[in-house]
Amino acid sequence: MAEHAPAPAPAPAPAPAPAPALQLQGLGKRYAGAARPALDGVDLQLPAGAISVVMGLSGSGKSTLLRLVNRLVEPSAGRVLCGAVDVTALAAEPLRQWRQQTTAMVFQGYALLPHRNVLQNVAYPLRLRGMPAAEAAGQARQWLQRVGLAGSDVAWPAALSGGMQQRVGLARALAADAPVLLMDEPFAALDPLYRREMQDLLLGLQQQLRKTVVFITHDLDEALRLADHLVLLRDGRVVQQGDPAATVLQPADAQVADFVRGLHRGRLLRCAALAQPGGPVPGAPVLAASATLAEAARAMLDAGSGQANVQAADGSHLGRLTLDAVVRQLAA
Amino acid sequence: MTTGFPALDADTLTALKQAIDQGFLAFSQRHGVAIETAFTPLQRLLIGVEQALLATPWPLLLAAVAALAWGASRRWPLALGSAATLALLGLFGLWDDTLKTLAMVLVATALAVAIGAPLGVAMARAPRLQRLLNPLLDLMQTLPSFVYLIPAVMLLGIGRVPGLLAVVVYALPPMVRLTSLGLREVDRDVLEAADAYGATPWQKLWGVQLPLALPTLMAGINQTIMMALAMVVVAAMIGVQGLGQPVLRAINNQYFALGLFNGLAIVAIAVVFDRIAQAWGWRLQRHRQPQRQPGHG
Amino acid sequence: MTSTRLLRRHLLTLLLALAASGTAQACGRLTLANMNWQSAELLAQVDRLILQAGYGCQVDLVPGDTLPTLTSMMAKGQPDVAPEAWINGVREPMLKAVAAGRLHLAGTALRDGGIEGWWIPKFVADAHPEIRSIADALKRPDLFPAPENRQQGAVHNCPAGWQCQIVMANLFKAHGAAAKGFVLVDPGTAAALDGTVARAHQRQQGWLGYYWSPTALLGQYAMVKLAEGVPHDNAEWQRCTSVAGCAAPKPNAWPRAEVYTLVTDRFKLAGGPAYAYLARRSWDSATVNAMLAWMVAQQATGEQGARQFLKTRPELWQAWVDPAVAARVRAAL
Repeated sequence: MAEHAPAPAPAPAPAPAPAPALQLQGLGKRYAGAARPALDGVDLQLPAGAISVVMGLSGSGKSTLLRLVNRLVEPSAGRVLCGAVDVTALAAEPLRQWRQQTTAMVFQGYALLPHRNVLQNVAYPLRLRGMPAAEAAGQARQWLQRVGLAGSDVAWPAALSGGMQQRVGLARALAADAPVLLMDEPFAALDPLYRREMQDLLLGLQQQLRKTVVFITHDLDEALRLADHLVLLRDGRVVQQGDPAATVLQPADAQVADFVRGLHRGRLLRCAALAQPGGPVPGAPVLAASATLAEAARAMLDAGSGQANVQAADGSHLGRLTLDAVVRQLAA
Repeated sequence: MTTGFPALDADTLTALKQAIDQGFLAFSQRHGVAIETAFTPLQRLLIGVEQALLATPWPLLLAAVAALAWGASRRWPLALGSAATLALLGLFGLWDDTLKTLAMVLVATALAVAIGAPLGVAMARAPRLQRLLNPLLDLMQTLPSFVYLIPAVMLLGIGRVPGLLAVVVYALPPMVRLTSLGLREVDRDVLEAADAYGATPWQKLWGVQLPLALPTLMAGINQTIMMALAMVVVAAMIGVQGLGQPVLRAINNQYFALGLFNGLAIVAIAVVFDRIAQAWGWRLQRHRQPQRQPGHG
Repeated sequence: MTSTRLLRRHLLTLLLALAASGTAQACGRLTLANMNWQSAELLAQVDRLILQAGYGCQVDLVPGDTLPTLTSMMAKGQPDVAPEAWINGVREPMLKAVAAGRLHLAGTALRDGGIEGWWIPKFVADAHPEIRSIADALKRPDLFPAPENRQQGAVHNCPAGWQCQIVMANLFKAHGAAAKGFVLVDPGTAAALDGTVARAHQRQQGWLGYYWSPTALLGQYAMVKLAEGVPHDNAEWQRCTSVAGCAAPKPNAWPRAEVYTLVTDRFKLAGGPAYAYLARRSWDSATVNAMLAWMVAQQATGEQGARQFLKTRPELWQAWVDPAVAARVRAAL
């Protein structure tokens, strides 16, 4: 489960449309003259209303995968199903309309229109649909406020820092009011502190909007922070997919194990992942299921206990946790 | 062994030349009148613009130029300088000739942009068209104008229209090429974003490509104006009135000062147009210059 | 100091020796003006062929127009020879140079001189026998439509910068052509002027304007020169007709255009027999017109025309040279 993030600035949230699930069946892409396919035999089920993170090192094909979803790149093989719609079978005009209504995209290089100011950029998807300028501007302002850029309406993209530009990019994607959000390494170009802020922002928005988000990154920390569903890609193939914590705890092969070794497990893994079934231990400290291992270790050390009880969000007992197991994970 | 290249013998060459000549004569006799009639609206336009300019009282014209320069650039020195340059030309007795040349250049530029920009757009979209058109554009820019000017005179008669034709032929290629180049060089990321949000090809062209290609398009218009002015003297060779005629006389009579004055007048017009166009182009895109606020984003 | 003076004296002796040898031998190297109209080009090539084959000269052709060539001859002594110099337009400065001994009129290139005037196509003259003079033609603007406005008549001026441009403008004013519904049309260059004549003949339309003989065009298209209606008045010509911007020009006739072969003083001194040839060489308009017509029909260059002339009209050119020279020229053809 994704962690809870601090609540965003208050603003009326529009009722989100039910987001569809994405299915990629046997998807492949080979570029002309390439030695090996960019993607091969990709089968993915990306759950509705959740953040799916596709992770991989450079050259793993993750950017291509994202673009296959909205067919900015045409697949060489396979299908993409968005809810009930076979995206791969759409003709040019229906595809364009599908993109307009169902998807929105955030780019690593921000891809803002340099000849339009911030407000016009955010309103762009609405204007493409033919919405009158005044109405589009009104909605755009609302979204700018939600990403924390209220008052920057008339600024030009060239005058903004990278972080602000990406906020505009995000606001633009949100203004499109599309159930599917595609994000191509959106925070990769930002500095680490700013990156955290943006991740928090995204998590906060997702709590209310519940879009189907496909998020591309090469940063494992970011992946674990954001993912409800994690997909690992290597050399154009899916290496592992599923629950993020499970990936860390049960790596599919030696390479993945090597990859996850550098994680700070203490801050990213939760008690729920390590809890063993068993009745409550009397006198042991009580930990929330969503508490991190680091917090668990600290609590048990402070209490001088080698065990703790893990409690679910609703107060019910989930299982028990040993300091031993926690330390072993931290030292892994 | 002789060093000369083994050419076709003289009779063959003569027969070939004669065949081409006869062919052209036949074509001219059959279609000349029709072609001439087709160009009549253009002729009227040219004459109209010229007469309008000549009929305008000079203070009004100077004011109009200054207003144009100011509107494009919002800079007083440029507005005053443009009007002053034109006034200087009038002072040296070149007013009428300048206006006649101006009329020709304006119509030629308008035509070149009207034909060249859409052609450039088409070329940017279709590499095949580009391959087809490139040799033709090369031809238009390098074939000595006199080669097709005299046949044009034989087809269309002496006067403004063949002159306009020569100017447009020469001034068109830069517009086409720079439009095509500008469109092809538009940031791919921004185009991808337009696609991702479901823009139609028209929305992409008008909303993204053309605005972003604007600097290069402006350069194209600039070059077109320069080429048109450069062709003024060539157009004079078939009787087009304006600053070119005195230059021709100067060449034939070795009147150095006359040639210099008129030549410099052509340069002066070119500089004024260039400054105005550049200032306007710069104003259109000043928001695209990065002016980062210091500190956090 | 002394060594320099010695050096100078040696150099002087050397130069004198060279100069002396120059006059004694064949003409050596000379430059010939190749002016940019057909009859001049033809004559320059004829001269070149004869001088090279017959007299062993080395001839370099220098392109140029009347005024630039003459200016150059007067100022720099280059080129050496202008075979077909139409001097009417440059009479004053040229006569001064001749008086000063810098230039010499070697001979009459065109025996009957050049003919300038207002011409119309023969088919118009045949269809309208009442049109015989300029005044007659000016009564009929409908017969000679202007290119850009059919309501008006057009008188075609001669190319920009030629002296006749001034004359035509004055005559146009003198005859009151504007009031009679005509405009004076500037063709810009000789080629463009030819183009308008050609077009008029193709479309069988009337044409009125300046032309001159001998030319290839007149060999190609039958044209008729209009009578000026008045004799040539030289005083009026000097005062007004040939002066740009003259206030009140009166109708006038063209003088016979005198066409001479001009040479520089250096060439006259050093040319020897070559100079003598140039002094004797002279032909008439009919011959030139015929040769030019042949050249146009054959798309021939000046050189090809010159060869054709030497091949087909030996009776004309052999009169200009000694038999020995003639034999050498014949052998070289």
